[in-house]
Formats: sequence, C-alpha cells, structure tokens
Amino acid sequence: MNVVVDRPEARLLPSRHHFALARLLAYVRLRGTRSAASQPEEHLILPIERDQTAAEMNGIAIWVFATASCYIAAGLPLALPIAVLAAIPLAAIAIHLPIVVGGPILRLIVGDRDHVKIVSAITMAMLLIASSWVAMSGSWARFAAWFFFAILALNGIAAIMLWLMRGAVRAAEERCAR
Amino acid sequence: MTRSAWWRRFLVRGVFWRQLLRFAILNVPPWTEPVIMAFWSTFFLLWGPGRRGVMRNLKVIKPGSFAVTNFFRCYRVFWNYAWTIADNVRFKELRTVPDWEFSGWDHFQEMQARGGAILLTAHMGSYDLGAHLFSETSTRRIVMVRAPEADPQTREFEEHHGADGLRIEFNTRATELALDLLENVRDGAIVAIQGDRVTGTISSLPATLFGRPTTVPAGPFALAMTARVPIFPVFVVRMGRRRYRLMTSRPIEITRSRNRDDDFARAVAQWMEELENVVRGRWYQWFTFEPYWQEPAA
Repeated sequence: MNVVVDRPEARLLPSRHHFALARLLAYVRLRGTRSAASQPEEHLILPIERDQTAAEMNGIAIWVFATASCYIAAGLPLALPIAVLAAIPLAAIAIHLPIVVGGPILRLIVGDRDHVKIVSAITMAMLLIASSWVAMSGSWARFAAWFFFAILALNGIAAIMLWLMRGAVRAAEERCAR
Repeated sequence: MTRSAWWRRFLVRGVFWRQLLRFAILNVPPWTEPVIMAFWSTFFLLWGPGRRGVMRNLKVIKPGSFAVTNFFRCYRVFWNYAWTIADNVRFKELRTVPDWEFSGWDHFQEMQARGGAILLTAHMGSYDLGAHLFSETSTRRIVMVRAPEADPQTREFEEHHGADGLRIEFNTRATELALDLLENVRDGAIVAIQGDRVTGTISSLPATLFGRPTTVPAGPFALAMTARVPIFPVFVVRMGRRRYRLMTSRPIEITRSRNRDDDFARAVAQWMEELENVVRGRWYQWFTFEPYWQEPAA
C-alpha cells in the first residue's frame, strides 16, 4: 500500500475516493488547494486507498439506507409514521442480506477481496431494480427513487469527465504525492 | 466440546462474535459499513452489564449527568468500540492502514531514540492497531503486554489471527514476565502496557481518578524504576472513519529516593493527570465496560 507522509492536502487525492462523483469533487478541491506545509508538531501518514474517505463512505451509506427505508416504509401496510419506524430496522436487515447470502458463496467462487466488489455490485443492482419499480409507482417513495437515479446519472457524468481529464488528474495526484 | 461449552461461544466475550466480525470485514462493501456498524452497535446495547458499566462510569466522568443522556453516550462508546475493533481486524486480515496523525511528535521521537522505554496507555481507541503501527514503523522492538481473553476459544482465535511482527505477552505469569520484560527494556525494547485498570491478581498502586480512589497496575512503574527508563503516556485515539491520532505526552521520570512509596505516588499522580485529561475529552473512547470505581458505601 502506498502512503503519503506529511502532506495534509493528500486527503483530497482522487485515488482516496471510491465513486466517480466523489473523485471528481476531490480533484476540483485538490486543484483549489495550495500545497501547505504540515504543522510542525504534527506528523501525518495518509494511505492511498480508495475507500479511505469518511465523508464519501458515510454519505453513501446514509443515502442508501434512507432510500431503502423509504421503499420499505412505502411498501408496508401501516400508517406512515409507524411504517417509517418499522422500516428503519428492516432496511438495516435488508442491507445485510446480499452480504450474508452472497458473500461466502462468491468468496468460494472468485476468491478473496474481489468477491466484495461483486457483493457491492449486487447490492447496488438490487437497489437499482427496487428504484426502477418504485419510480414508476404512484407512491410517495418515488421521489426517493428519482433522487437515486439523479445521483446515478451524476456519477455517470462524473465518470466520463474523469476519463476525459485522466491525464490532468494523474498529474495533479503525482504533484501532491511526490 | 463439552455439552456446557457449546453455547459459551455466543456469550458477549465468546468466539462467535470475533468470527462474525472477521466474516464482516471480509465480506462487507465499505460503503455499507456505517449502516452495519450502527445496527450492531444498537444490538450490543442489549448487553446489560456492559451498558450499565459504561453508564456508571460516565456518571463519574460527567457528574450531574442524566441517565437518559448517558444511555445515548453509551451508544457512542459502543459505536466507537465497534469501529475500533473492526479497524483492527481489517488491518490484520487485509493490511488496510488507517490515516495516522501524531501529536506530541517530539516525545514520540524521543521515545524511539532512547534505549528502552515503557509505553503506558489505556483501554482507549485502538491499542492493538497502534502497537501494530509501531512495530512496523519503529526501529525499536515492541513487546505488548495485555490481559488474556477470558474465553479460551476466543483466546485461541485471537492468537491464530494475530498480525506478524509484534510480540504479545499476557500478564498471567507475573514473576517470569517481569524478569523477561526487564531484560527486554534493558536491551532497548519498548514495552507497551495498559495502565488504566487492574485485572486479576496483579499488584496495584493506589491512585485517584476524577476525584475518586482507584488502583492502577504497579508493574509499569516498578519496571521503569528498576530499569531506570522513562514512562511515555501514549494514547491511540480514533478521530473518525479509518482515522487515528497517536498522542504522546511528556515522559514520566521515576526518580529514586529513600521513600519508594512517594516516588511511585508522584509517578502515578502524573499518569492519572494525563489519563484524566484524555478520558475527560474523549470519554466516548474509554472502553471500560465494567464499573471502574467501587460504589460508595451507603
């Protein structure tokens, strides 16, 4: 694993982010950041690892959890406040399912670490299918589904932009991590 | 396995939960981790003795606090503990390193430069992860002393899934261990010990924390006095997701005089001051699930 030492701005390296939208935002912020000398009393070790950024991972988790909770609440035959309360633990359990069911099987088939990417893709695919169904319904949860697709579309656009700017992104990363 | 033993693995300190955590680390996509952590932190609030222990300790750390507030604070302790042990397993299994910040860098460098030292820490943040970082980045050999797991299966599991490059000693065989540690410190090694609570029958020294009497292990202080090395208070504090700060404070020098008890008392008081400052500011990372102080007699 590569690490950057005593460069606080390396927190913004696109390589420390997972999804295209977060990588693009990190790149924009990195360009706007001047190289700052580290505080004399501080010493920093920052690994370059794509799942390292808290804001991105927590943001995605909250978004996915809120979306799943909305879908489950809308599907429950209960009064809305009770349905929302019931949906919170149910959504947490639902998010466990692809991991508990798919994880061990996929690990046997594709081996260590790579199987997590497939579990990740399966979880997102399940959410995509649920969103497609809810988006076409007349339920109040369709707004959450539309928001889900809006984020997916933005992420797709960000991926294209990053691909077009790949040289500049690589150069900015090398300047920072040098 | 005996008939009475099969269910023990499901007790709170049983091996099942370690196995489940390892399974989660190997299978959970990182972007679902916060949801999983929140769920299991809530689940572990059902652990009555642990919850009550934390809440009782919080009552002393935050005098005048309400029980309902401390219940939510207790959740925060469990949440931080879940992340901490998960980060530790992630490092052992996948070698995933968190971000490291250092404060008291001068003291940290001094500790590395000196020939032998005691690293005194508490049940805070990730003690294990800090020790692993140390063993990988330091030129000094590090010997970590810790209390063994209560459950034999859990102990076996932890020994089997330990990281390389770090020597762990368990504080069960007091006399031989003391001599062994003394030899190591004199050879220039750094001995890391948790000095905030006394477990089992190890010898202790009287202390005062948050204005209440308590005891701390005597071993680190006796070792420092015998080996004539300083004690460096070091705390590994979780700052956020995969982000830790290693805080090193000014060293505690134990000067020998005619009155050994006074020498120890001065050193213990300095250690308690450091510990109290850190626990007051970061109570949500003091992983002490048993009541730390005796209940005052009615």
